[in-house]
Amino acid sequence: MERKDNQSPRGHIAGILVEFLEVAITSVVFLKGIYSPGAFERRRYMNVVVQRARHPQLRDYIHSAVSGLLPFIEKGLVERVAVIFFNTDNIPVERFMFKLTVNQSFDSKVEESDLEFSLRSFLIKLSVSQPLTKVLPCDCRWEITAYFRSLPQVRNSKDTELWISTDTKQWQQPPLITPIKSMNSEPLGVQLFLEHPSPSEPKS
Amino acid sequence: MSLDSSRSANSGPQNSKRSFNSNSSNNKDNSSNSKKRKSNQKTLGMAWGANSLSTSRSSFRSSPYSDFGSYMVEKNRKLQNQFDAEASNSSLSDTSTKPIFRGVSIFVDGFTVPSSQELRRYMLNYGGRFENYFSRHRVTHIICSNLPDSKIKNIRSFSGGLPVVKPTWVLDSVAVNRLLSWVPYQLDQLASNQPTLSTFFTSKISPASEGVFTDAICEVKHGTEDLCLKDASKDAKFSEAGEPSEWRKKITEEHDELMHGNTNSKVIEEPSSSYSEASQEVKVVERSNLVQDDESRENNRPQYCPEQPSASVSSHCFDNHSVKESPHSTALGPLKQCHSTLGDPNFVENYFKNSRLHFIGTWRNRYRKRFPSLPNGFKCMNSHSDVSADTQKTAIIHIDMDCFFVSVVIRSHPELHDKPVAVCHSDNPKGTAEISSANYPARDYGIRAGMFVRDAKALCTHLVILPYNFEAYEEVADQFYNILHKYCNRVQAVSCDEAFLDVTDLEGEDPKLLASAIRKEIFEATGCTASAGIAVNMLMAHLATRTAKPNGQCYISPERCFSHLQVDEYLDQLPLKALPGIGHVLEEKLKNRNVRTCGQLRMISKGSLQKDFGFKTGEMLWNYSRGVDNRLVGTIQESKSVGAEVNWGIRFRDLQDTQHFLLDLCKEVSLRLQGCGVQGRTFTLKIKKRRKDAGEPAKYMGCGDCENLSHSTTVPLATDDVEVLQRITKQLFGFFHVDVKDIRGVGLQVSRLESVDTSKQVLERNSLKSWLMSASASSEERCDVSSIAKDRVGTVIVFIKLRYALYCQAKNFHCCTPTTNTEGKSMGGNSGVLCTDPVGNSVLRTNNTSNGDGCSNQILSIPQLCHLDMGVVESLPSELQSELNEMYGGKLVDLIAKSKGQGENSTGSLCFHPPELSKVAIEEAERSHNSDPISLSRTAVEMMLSSIVFPVGMMTLCSPIICAENVFCFIIDIILFVVPKGKQHILEELQTVPDSGTGFNSNAISIQALDNNDLMPSSLSQVDTSVLQQLPEELRADLFESLPAHRRQEISTLGPNRDNLHHPLCINQPESTDSGLTNNLWIGNPPLWVDKFKVSNLLMLRFFADMYYKSKSAENLSSILQCTIAESLHPLDAKCDAWNEAVHSFNELLMEYIKLKIVVDIEEIYVCFRLLRRLSTKSEFFLEVYNLVFPHLQASVDENYGGNLHIP
Repeated sequence: MERKDNQSPRGHIAGILVEFLEVAITSVVFLKGIYSPGAFERRRYMNVVVQRARHPQLRDYIHSAVSGLLPFIEKGLVERVAVIFFNTDNIPVERFMFKLTVNQSFDSKVEESDLEFSLRSFLIKLSVSQPLTKVLPCDCRWEITAYFRSLPQVRNSKDTELWISTDTKQWQQPPLITPIKSMNSEPLGVQLFLEHPSPSEPKS
Repeated sequence: MSLDSSRSANSGPQNSKRSFNSNSSNNKDNSSNSKKRKSNQKTLGMAWGANSLSTSRSSFRSSPYSDFGSYMVEKNRKLQNQFDAEASNSSLSDTSTKPIFRGVSIFVDGFTVPSSQELRRYMLNYGGRFENYFSRHRVTHIICSNLPDSKIKNIRSFSGGLPVVKPTWVLDSVAVNRLLSWVPYQLDQLASNQPTLSTFFTSKISPASEGVFTDAICEVKHGTEDLCLKDASKDAKFSEAGEPSEWRKKITEEHDELMHGNTNSKVIEEPSSSYSEASQEVKVVERSNLVQDDESRENNRPQYCPEQPSASVSSHCFDNHSVKESPHSTALGPLKQCHSTLGDPNFVENYFKNSRLHFIGTWRNRYRKRFPSLPNGFKCMNSHSDVSADTQKTAIIHIDMDCFFVSVVIRSHPELHDKPVAVCHSDNPKGTAEISSANYPARDYGIRAGMFVRDAKALCTHLVILPYNFEAYEEVADQFYNILHKYCNRVQAVSCDEAFLDVTDLEGEDPKLLASAIRKEIFEATGCTASAGIAVNMLMAHLATRTAKPNGQCYISPERCFSHLQVDEYLDQLPLKALPGIGHVLEEKLKNRNVRTCGQLRMISKGSLQKDFGFKTGEMLWNYSRGVDNRLVGTIQESKSVGAEVNWGIRFRDLQDTQHFLLDLCKEVSLRLQGCGVQGRTFTLKIKKRRKDAGEPAKYMGCGDCENLSHSTTVPLATDDVEVLQRITKQLFGFFHVDVKDIRGVGLQVSRLESVDTSKQVLERNSLKSWLMSASASSEERCDVSSIAKDRVGTVIVFIKLRYALYCQAKNFHCCTPTTNTEGKSMGGNSGVLCTDPVGNSVLRTNNTSNGDGCSNQILSIPQLCHLDMGVVESLPSELQSELNEMYGGKLVDLIAKSKGQGENSTGSLCFHPPELSKVAIEEAERSHNSDPISLSRTAVEMMLSSIVFPVGMMTLCSPIICAENVFCFIIDIILFVVPKGKQHILEELQTVPDSGTGFNSNAISIQALDNNDLMPSSLSQVDTSVLQQLPEELRADLFESLPAHRRQEISTLGPNRDNLHHPLCINQPESTDSGLTNNLWIGNPPLWVDKFKVSNLLMLRFFADMYYKSKSAENLSSILQCTIAESLHPLDAKCDAWNEAVHSFNELLMEYIKLKIVVDIEEIYVCFRLLRRLSTKSEFFLEVYNLVFPHLQASVDENYGGNLHIP
């Protein structure tokens, strides 16, 4: 909890955001019921009940994926973070999109309680958005994908090498969007929406 | 302990997993484990994983416990042990904390701020206990911020009788480092729940058992003279059916009840007509103007009900009452419709005649009129008192007449001085009237105000009851204040018999001697005694008076006041009720928290008080309980709202009755507004609607079980005009959709008050009226009189203002001139004449508007004297007047004098031709163009602008009928034709950056348009942008909007252009520049569209604008739509001419909203369109809008999110 005080406000925001993403993504995975409920345990985050993965691998995957994003988020490179569920043919069935906007020019002190208030509403809304989602086919697979505004410079840093460019299959047609939650609390804006293939999408 | 660990160790391989994730159940490792956990948590975030004690009962795991119960026992024990261990650790590490929570064991229920984990930490550190699972035996306090309704209802079974306390209790206790009483921190829901129930029961029981109706018909609103009206009238069928004698019995009984409910009303029964006529009347006569000053009374008298000698009225009334006493039950017979709004056509006009409350309420206006210069006097002295407050030498005298209402009446009866006397409106032997005031001998018997005469007489058989004598009250109050003002010029009137004096300035005099001198003089002048309290602040002076009474004075010395021990001692035992500002409600609330004295109040933290009672009240309570009072003498609380409400006897047959009643109510409210010298902007119509299942109320003609409905609207210009009120009220009433037969109460309240300088108002009226009169007199050839002050360039925006005003007036729109006018140069707004340079020669010019068919010949001749409009002439500055007078050879003066003497009865109708007006302006502009050298002074431009703004503002806000475009044309004309001439000059004057003037040169201003019949400029490039920038935002937006569509694209060129200007006065916000002015509908507060829609022809749009004010978070469209759905909208769909236009403007609104929100808040857009979709199933209008805007929505979503919005 006690983040270093010498952090810049931007780094501070990115830190909160990454932490939040970790929780939110875990909640999404829990919501979709890919793993049995026993794989999660109830925890409290920002004073609301959330789920946390108990399986170390699952937890590590989520944790390392989002914390690997931290340097990019700090630079403002990350536009969206998606949790994509694929069917057995590796075709996306459902995508949870986190659209991030971090005001880079913002440089004053961030009121953490305000941010917390906004982010909490995401977690609450997420936990009740089951009806909006589709039932997944069995044997599906999921991954975390980040959409960058521009391709990052390849550096030999340990942080960055976790992320590799992907050739995930995309839909041919523009998807159907179902917004779940939006928040815009300067300097951070997060929007969460669902994407489903449009009905005209060619079935493979 | 060891058993625990061994057991869990035995529980199989799964256990390792369990202990990995959750808190270890192994106590031996506890300390090291928890440390490890903490270091883990740091990387994961605070509560993420912290102390979640509940291990999930995984279904796949075979339980080592026989059943759930034993598992829980075990678990609780472990948790307890764990807690103990942690507690011993934390208290060891921090020795400074003392165990304030020893013996306290809390259970946190639900979401709290701070979180349960933080509360647990406090408990750990301060020696308390924290229970994870509720147990009646272990838990001592339940902590929660919120409880669901079911738990509230069933609080016993939920809490097991344990205190339910807010988490701030823990925090505050920690803050003061001792255990505070939990009582003040009891959960609000509980605290407020209990008393309301109990009061509900008591009020229900008492009338039933005593046959007394205590329903409050009369509400006295906070800071207002809002007294209720009542009426009583009878239905025709009753008299036909009922037997007269029996009926009479009932009536008297009913009168009596009526008087119960409202001690200050008197019943007049028209003796002759009552029983024979089809519609009979029993009037409750109350008159609000009773205490208005003589002048206004003179004015009002002819219009309103004729005055009747009050003595005869009351005696008649008494007779009536003495006729008989009938059993209570007869009044509850089946025929209840006899008293209602139905029968009496004039009932609102007969009101408040002998109301004591009303006397007190309206007394302040009267006082203010008597001592009008005072507020100014206070102003300059307030600063002084700030200084003197530092030196702590302030001396405040609080002076209060002793039992004013009695002593004034008995001063002429010396024989009664030592006898117990009470004042009451009726000395009915039935004795159910309420005593309004009792003198000290009577008080010794325990007689109090508000007591029933019957009870009082039981206490004191020889009690003398006297009626009110309002003339005497007025007289004495005036004498009282005359004396006070003689001694001291800083007087704050509290009531008619009570005032504060700030005698700090009178340094030479001892305040004690001064007080006795004043009291002596009051006694000599009025024959009544007064008591005085002297102290350093108003609060203490007030309290001192309390001890001084009766007929004494008390001095609390500054030393005493500031030595806190003394004050504390004095205040400690003081009941809360004695503090000013604490009324029944507040006292009751505090009582529920077990606070009865100041001493107890002082125990409560300021923050807690402010949280529970609101910021201001909380602070006041906190201060007062410590004897601190920062109020300054002379700060008079302005009333926040003025209104009238009738909740008794309301029975309507049809809509017509209702409208009639509303009109009467409006008249009353308008009178009250005028009485207070205020005008209001927000109008709230409240309706009490009978609940469906509610039968006839137990109280005769009462409102019974009702739903309270209200609608309100805000208009841009404050008003007190009856007609406007009526129009608004009608409109508001239209929103209700209730069956008029179900209406049981109606109230109209006006808030957002703005004070009107009454003298100004009168002047304005006069000039308007005379203007109207003269206009109608010369209806064939109207004169437009303008005075042109022509120095180098005379710029005149003449009469436009006035004409617009008149136009609005003619259309039943009340108009008032803007209270703040730029530099005050438009002469209070009522002259309509702007004069640039008073020294310049004036040219009087007429324009024959009857040949306004496009002929724009300049007529520069002096109009005939009879064509002059006196309203305008009178309001000209004196220099101009004298000049005009010269032109007319001195005849003008006589005419002015004559016109002033003329009455105010004529109202003419005027039609208005904006194009003609603008032509006049063009001509003038032309002329000014021709005359060289031209330099427009800055003030001229500013004044012009301000004068333009006004009529336009009025147009757009007030009148849906006026074709707004004409005005805009007109403005643009001015911008085009007048301003360019002075451009260079303006540049010098207005621009702080001298060299940025080059930017202007790019704006080629063409004067070709002079010849153009089309008044709209062909292109905006002709318009001087510097002028545009000076216009207020809304006006500018309207301007652009009014441009024909094919010219609109040119606006975009204006945007960047403007950016280059670096104009210091640029008002434009950057966003609106960027988006090329397309997002202007959502700018402002309230957003522009609200005003636009409000004046729309289509009911739908007006309704929607109304919804803006209804919805709570109004900046979101979704909440407004939500509101729209919630309100029933049935007949709104009628197709009309403006249909397409309305669809278009709504479409526009949505498009702009999408643009505004699509990037940052797609959720909001989504919610909006789902709501729209729902609306579209109900309303064709919304269906059309939805279909129209939907493609646009999808396009923008696609653009921003690469997909289509999925709207199920």
